[in-house]
Amino acid sequence: MPETVPQNAGYMIAAYIVTGVIVVGYAVSLYLRARRALRP
Amino acid sequence: MRLLRAGRWITGIALLLLAGVYVRALAYTPMERMQGMAQKIFYLHVPAAIWAETAMILVGLASVFYLFLKDPRLDRFAAASAEVGTVFACVILTTGPIWGKPIWGTWWSWDARLTLTLFLFLLYMGYMLLRGAVSDPGERARFAAVLGICGMVLVPFIHFSVYMFRTLHPMPIVLKPSTPSLPPVMLATWLMSLGVFSLLYVGFVIQRYALSYLREQLEAAGEARNA
Repeated sequence: MPETVPQNAGYMIAAYIVTGVIVVGYAVSLYLRARRALRP
Repeated sequence: MRLLRAGRWITGIALLLLAGVYVRALAYTPMERMQGMAQKIFYLHVPAAIWAETAMILVGLASVFYLFLKDPRLDRFAAASAEVGTVFACVILTTGPIWGKPIWGTWWSWDARLTLTLFLFLLYMGYMLLRGAVSDPGERARFAAVLGICGMVLVPFIHFSVYMFRTLHPMPIVLKPSTPSLPPVMLATWLMSLGVFSLLYVGFVIQRYALSYLREQLEAAGEARNA
């Protein structure tokens, strides 16, 4: 066991932000593509 | 339109639940002492990996059935599943190196698991490029089905690569024959995240399927007007 816990919260925050950006970005892209397809 | 609306609702609910997973993982799940906070990347990385691989298996199965039945719905589903699988593959290939850097000391290693996962992503890209390059719908569906089946064959190699080769990547701690090596509270968070990623997959695929159907209907209407 290490005596001190590694200080690497920055990596975790980066991963959570990147995942959010990818997932929400794709949801938005689907919404915009559908809106464009439905436009007369 | 009803399908598109259903997909949007499911995706919206899944995104709200994903925010719940973030809160639970960050505030209510204990930190692992060896890896520190970076271990919490596990709650996003592994469910995304499971769905990136499952999506490719579903592409392959839909492709096999398409080659026998020639049902355009199967081709439409395969295309939708491939695009959503690519999104989850992006999540694995970004969160993986971010997790690897503090734990392994390197962003990337050309070992079997990582290289095969990159290959899965490239296969997804190739699948979508192929679909974009062939204009005849019948040929496009047939060629894409063959590539989809090749992708499905790759998936077991990715999963078992950690047993077959010496890799930096750890062995499975949940998806293995024995009981998961996780404390119950961590397992609960992980299962919640897996459920949310499953819902995201369903919502995205329904929307993408509806979008393809909509485009086909519009193209058919346009051709009928021009004829």
